[in-house]
Amino acid sequence: MNRSFVLRRGLQAIGTLLVIVTVLFFLFRLGLPDPTAALVTEGLSPEDRAAVRERFGLDRPLFEQYVIYLGNVVQGEFGTSFYYKAPVASLVWEKFANTMVLMLTAIIIAYGLGIPLGAYLAWKRGTRSDTFGIVLGLMFRSAPMFWTGMLAVLLFGVALGWLPTSGMRTLPYEAVGFLDKIFTLDFLRHLILPSLIIALFYLGSPLLIMRNTMLEVYGEDFIEMARAKGLRERDILYRHAARNALLPVMTQLAVTIGLAAGGQVVVEVVFSWPGLGREILQAVRTSDFPLAQATFLLMAALVIGMNFLADMVYGALDPRVKLQ
Amino acid sequence: MHTSTRPRSTWVPVLIALTLALGLVTAQAQTAVPQIEILTTTEAYDPIRYESAFIIAEDWRTLGFDVVVRPLEFSTLLERFYDEQDFDITILGWSGRVDRLDPQHFLSTLDSRQTSLGSNNPGGYSNPAYDAMFDAQAAEFDADARRAIVLEMQELVAPDAPLVILYHRDEVIAYNATQFDDMVTMAGEGLYNEWTPLVATPLTDDRVLTIGSPQEPDTLNPLDSTSVWGWKWMRMYYDKLVRLSPDIEPLPYAAASITPVDDLTIDVTLREGMTFHDGEPVTAEDVKFTFDYYIEQDFGYFRAFLSPIESVDVTGPLGVRFNLATPFAPFITVTLSQIPILPAHIWSEIPNPADLAPDQIPQIGSGPFQFDRYDRGEYKRLTVYPEHFAAGDIAIEAMEMIVYADSEGVFTGLQTGEIDMTAWRMEPGQIPLAEANDDLVVVGVPDFGYFHMTWNLRRAPFDDVAARRALTMATDRQRMVNVLLDGRGEVGSSVVAPVNAFWHNPFIERFDYDLDAARAELEAAGYTWDADGRIWAP
Repeated sequence: MNRSFVLRRGLQAIGTLLVIVTVLFFLFRLGLPDPTAALVTEGLSPEDRAAVRERFGLDRPLFEQYVIYLGNVVQGEFGTSFYYKAPVASLVWEKFANTMVLMLTAIIIAYGLGIPLGAYLAWKRGTRSDTFGIVLGLMFRSAPMFWTGMLAVLLFGVALGWLPTSGMRTLPYEAVGFLDKIFTLDFLRHLILPSLIIALFYLGSPLLIMRNTMLEVYGEDFIEMARAKGLRERDILYRHAARNALLPVMTQLAVTIGLAAGGQVVVEVVFSWPGLGREILQAVRTSDFPLAQATFLLMAALVIGMNFLADMVYGALDPRVKLQ
Repeated sequence: MHTSTRPRSTWVPVLIALTLALGLVTAQAQTAVPQIEILTTTEAYDPIRYESAFIIAEDWRTLGFDVVVRPLEFSTLLERFYDEQDFDITILGWSGRVDRLDPQHFLSTLDSRQTSLGSNNPGGYSNPAYDAMFDAQAAEFDADARRAIVLEMQELVAPDAPLVILYHRDEVIAYNATQFDDMVTMAGEGLYNEWTPLVATPLTDDRVLTIGSPQEPDTLNPLDSTSVWGWKWMRMYYDKLVRLSPDIEPLPYAAASITPVDDLTIDVTLREGMTFHDGEPVTAEDVKFTFDYYIEQDFGYFRAFLSPIESVDVTGPLGVRFNLATPFAPFITVTLSQIPILPAHIWSEIPNPADLAPDQIPQIGSGPFQFDRYDRGEYKRLTVYPEHFAAGDIAIEAMEMIVYADSEGVFTGLQTGEIDMTAWRMEPGQIPLAEANDDLVVVGVPDFGYFHMTWNLRRAPFDDVAARRALTMATDRQRMVNVLLDGRGEVGSSVVAPVNAFWHNPFIERFDYDLDAARAELEAAGYTWDADGRIWAP
């Protein structure tokens, strides 16, 4: 991997981010209603609305607002939330952590199960278990998560009462820090349903990608060779074939982790998980531009960052890939 | 290309002009009634207002009007109505905030001095007699004398049909009757009012009242919150001089007595022995500071309540005198019942309270509950303040609120016993499920807010009172209540709701649904119909 390649990809990533910042800025301002419109129903007079607009800088020309915003973002300053009237960075960070705990758990389950299962299905190609596995994977992939989520709430929460169905802890709960908050049995109980629902949905991708690439790899000469050497079928499957089939799955994984930042909005709503997805929804509902921009920007930065990382790791995983 | 389009473009206006001239000649002195555009909410935002518009359009078309329904995104709808006044007809609503139980606010929506852009009377109704009575009632401190004026005002405007009050929707909420008893409901407030936590009786060892809400306050900063969700929570730990009783009667609360000396002077004496949650005494200086501070900070949310005040004087350790610039009858019911008492020793140190970061906001009040904790997006908790004068009567030890992502989550919480009551109205689909659940009690509370259809009186045909009256008769409001609200509501008649019994006038013209009467009204005013059934103005 040469240095100019890394540099070039790095610059490309930054350029993409800049475009995204710009698009987000204008998209929200042109697409969403004026954030002070909702204050009318609360009985605020026109003068008061004007004062609010002035406070948030909404009375300035759009382009001037954009330049100010750009300057602030470069300095890592994301502004003040219109609705919460508090700095966006602190609001986003807390919710981001909550979302990532949920999403990473789900992704680890999905890929931890999906990769070996996909390899297994390829090995059992054409048998009844292959068909069964594919159908199951596709089924969960196609079932909308708000539906499977609601069924899970009804069954395990309301009817059976086995598991909590909302939030991430039994309240009230005194947590000293974030780690203290997540490493408890109570937290794990709250995590089970939402993370399983997301994991089942995600399971299909690694499962099917792995199965398909495995089938390709199975046709290659070195597998014949391994068989000829008299290696056990299981060793051929997991040591030789699976390693070579991992590449496309890794790309998929990188993108999935990147997208995970936004959380699964519907799952966070169904299970009232206090994460970034719910915050995005709230920000769009209240035309809270700074909060909406920051959350979307965070998601975009993660997708771009993870793609960049995947590109870099490619060479290490497969020496045949030449990076230029 | 150029040569071929030019001649055509000059011909088009000529043709249009000819057609129009022909139309004028055939119609003789008659003019066409312009097309009526009804602006309403999108179906996704509020299916009830959306469907209402179609019910109205359907009936009006049978009268020969050309009607189109135009659903708009909510903020755009507000802008078209309030800021631009660019509408024929708009369907919107006023929420029943507790300070609006005093008739002042709703009566002001027909005041001709509120017709400028952005003000509260976008329809443009103007009646000098009404305006004069509005001023007279605002200056009348004697409740019965004021009531007489308020009733007369409602009677005066009804025949003019300045707008159509469509319906008052019931607030349907539920609580877990195996956990708590003696819950109180308040008009427009439902169960989550300022009395329920004070009087609810726990039936089990769990003496914590847990409320489930789909909404988060914007902030718990008393100098910055502009949402009911912030104020409904803060009023439990900040005390006020007056609290409105469940029957909307103003009760001196932190005040021991309130004496109007004359139209412009009100003396208030504080209760003895009150303290803030940090142990400091509540004095007349704190009350004076609070009002001065709010006025000095020019806090928009309270400005209308505070603008009549000229000055506040301290007359003794517990004595305060309010001097008003103009007589303002709602001073006791609205101003004194809404403004929280702030501790001067804390807030006097804060020159720019709106800039406080969330963790810097002081949470010290003198109310019956004290602030315990707040985890944004998840949880809030208040505990009883044992030194408060009402503490002995409070049966619970704490109240808490769990925030869910939506009303579905709140209802699940109610079913699983995670919460004891809902803070906000249930979805129509949840009501039968709640009724079928033996543990839950469902309560319907009439709202004093209302949904209205307001016409633009500057535009034809709404500049004609006969057209307005006829169109009101052709609006099937009973069907909206029966079908769209599932019977959980009431047909509107006045800006002052029937549930607000003291101020509501039930003996005014009501315009029951009657298409024949509507047609007769139009005919009498000189409207005619052509062969296609289309209506023509006189």
